[in-house]
Amino acid sequence: MARFVAVTPSQQNNQLSFSPLASSLSDFSGTKLHCSHIHFKRKQWQTKSASFYVSASSNKKILIMGGTRFIGVFLSRLLVKEGHQVTLFTRGKAPVTQQLPGESDSDYADFSSKILHLKGDRQDFEFVKSSLSAQGFDVVYDINGREAVEVEPILDALPNMEQFIYCSSAGVYLKSDLLPHAEVDAVDPKSRHKGKLETESLLQSRGVNWTSIRPVYIYGPLNYNPVEEWFFHRLKAGRPIPIPSSGLQITQLGHVKDLARAFVQVLGNDKASKAIFNISGEKYVTFDGLARACAKAGGFPEPELIHYNPKDYDFGKKKAFPFRDQHFFASTEKSKSVLGFENEFDLVEGLTDSYNLDFGRGTYRKEADFSTDDIILGKTLVSV
Amino acid sequence: MSMATLSSSSASLLFSASSSNLFPLSHSSTSRLSFSSSLHSSTASLFSASSPTFLACPSSSSRLSATSNNDGGPVFSISASAAEKKKVLIVNTNSGGHAVIGFYFAKELLGSGHSVTILTVGEESSDKMKKPPFNRFSEIVSAGGSTVWGNPADVGSIVGGEVFDVVLDNNGKDLETVRPVIDWAKSSGAKQFLFISSAGIYKLTDEPPHVEGDTVKADAGHVGVEKYLEESFSNWASFRPQYMIGSGNNKDCEEWFFDRIVRDRPVPIPGSGLQLTNISHVRDLSSMLTLAVEKPEAARNSIFNCVSNRAVTLNGMAKLCAQAAGRPVNIVHYDPKAVGVDAKKAFPFRNTHFYAEPRAAQTKLGWSSTTNLPEDLKERFEEYVKIGRDKKTIQFELDDKILEALKVPVPV
Repeated sequence: MARFVAVTPSQQNNQLSFSPLASSLSDFSGTKLHCSHIHFKRKQWQTKSASFYVSASSNKKILIMGGTRFIGVFLSRLLVKEGHQVTLFTRGKAPVTQQLPGESDSDYADFSSKILHLKGDRQDFEFVKSSLSAQGFDVVYDINGREAVEVEPILDALPNMEQFIYCSSAGVYLKSDLLPHAEVDAVDPKSRHKGKLETESLLQSRGVNWTSIRPVYIYGPLNYNPVEEWFFHRLKAGRPIPIPSSGLQITQLGHVKDLARAFVQVLGNDKASKAIFNISGEKYVTFDGLARACAKAGGFPEPELIHYNPKDYDFGKKKAFPFRDQHFFASTEKSKSVLGFENEFDLVEGLTDSYNLDFGRGTYRKEADFSTDDIILGKTLVSV
Repeated sequence: MSMATLSSSSASLLFSASSSNLFPLSHSSTSRLSFSSSLHSSTASLFSASSPTFLACPSSSSRLSATSNNDGGPVFSISASAAEKKKVLIVNTNSGGHAVIGFYFAKELLGSGHSVTILTVGEESSDKMKKPPFNRFSEIVSAGGSTVWGNPADVGSIVGGEVFDVVLDNNGKDLETVRPVIDWAKSSGAKQFLFISSAGIYKLTDEPPHVEGDTVKADAGHVGVEKYLEESFSNWASFRPQYMIGSGNNKDCEEWFFDRIVRDRPVPIPGSGLQLTNISHVRDLSSMLTLAVEKPEAARNSIFNCVSNRAVTLNGMAKLCAQAAGRPVNIVHYDPKAVGVDAKKAFPFRNTHFYAEPRAAQTKLGWSSTTNLPEDLKERFEEYVKIGRDKKTIQFELDDKILEALKVPVPV
């Protein structure tokens, strides 16, 4: 099977400043990459005895809508390891499986021999309904659904479904001056993520046993959303990091492996029945702080941060910064108290894991594009 | 960014009852209630309302009482059974933002059937006693509590050799002041020592919120006390508060905003106004302390951030105060250095993120916050007007200096 390769063919063999320890991604419940120059501070409550081990529920027939890109890649491995029969429903555009960086050959061989594929387009609702009905799955994880109409045929096809587990988004919360967002808070029917809200409503109305997970910003190796990658590009290029406004805006990142574990934790879990959970990092982070954390993760020196007023610029369609220019974070207290969810990774540890398994090996999803940076830097030499 | 007027949509920030909302919401005047999310089928009759914080905390005590909390509906909290009444001594400061804590705590303990003595620093006849909460101490007495005055260093003789189960020091900011109280409590056989510390001792961080266990400033006076307690007392707990609102407060909090809003004056906020802080109703602090008294094993040797479960931005606080007052707000931002004012004097809150979360209390004590700023501020504003403070003549020297530097006009 092909290794997961860099998007760009033209890359240099730069000196990468990390210690290349192997990490087995097939069992990442306790595995992280450690860098000697990073000190991991353990807080006392984190040493509580293991949280979440899901009792080996009987072998289930599980369908994942998607599963070949990011969350599903890790989730599917955990589920297969637990002994479930896992099928990925994808169009087949990307390879059904790819060996992950750090994954041993034997683990990968085991996984790829067990994972099943159902090829189809989920927008073809008739096909979804008939193919799912024919196979009869116990549990469906919908990792890539955006609109309620996409979920209807799945519910129609599987009237005896044990559980429908949905990847929603904290983006549904109505912007507020009172934070963090909690699951009980008001949601925004006009948000960009209203399809997720409509899906949650559909699930509630249909009487299926559902669980909805609302992540904030997800990060980790193979991230296709240039979150940490955006910082790593600049750090690697030795460029200053342009941050809108004060840099005090607070956001929150959650490691994809922790998210995958949460998805497994709710499987067959009565406490998760018809419930919503925010899942993200234990702590939040300021924009400035995130730049510094990325630098630490990659072994870069402390970065130069440039603050600018976004209103002074017109970047056209381009995004000058990968995060919403506002506070955006959610409380995970419910997942902790109800599910016993615990993050394995703190921010610097998690970013280090991402760096060492992805960007630091020369792989990334989007080419560096410093055009908006140059606009900002060209103008702010005078002000701020 | 300044807001010339209130956006009416901000009224639905928390209490969204629109049909587009996910689940039917109901709300009371004291808390943000919503649908119950997770259901325990096995213990449905008792725990049918979702209360994640409660579910996490097993308890061996008996009596159940219902309150409402901010995490989703009614919650059943457990308080001490009738047999476990405590004798509590509160050593209380005679001024400042923390003074009100002792007042609420005393009343709550008395309401739960415990016995309370409150020792206030200084003299009963002092002018300081004419201010709230001290001018309401008759409420403690009529509820069955004792009020005494004196120097905490002489606590033993002031209480006349009486022995207490629990001692709370809500006064000292350094070991020199608190040590005599700790030593006396230990030698007189008190079983539990509680200390009001401060969330101000946390070191600034890139990763908010401040949680218990995070690094603190080693040279902070409160830290010295916490360390000494850890070394010398068998069952201690330290509570780190931030800002408080509540009737009987000795120090202005929301009043600072009301003063400007009712006089149609701009509200000058340093920096971007995005700084997050935690403003709790003092009843949250009192309920946390009471829970610690009633669950001494759960509270043993712990640090608790004594705050509500939500942060608010400085801009948000201004907006909520204006909303409570039913008036528009004109927020003006400034750079203290550029204008030449000391932000500490010009503005009542820290000019950085100052944001702790009450995670230990939620996990260890099964405590829930009931602070509801939008509702609580309405009540605060009613009192503000009732005492006639909206009509009072106030000088706004520092405001004027700031506004002049920014060339912002002020109504005469």
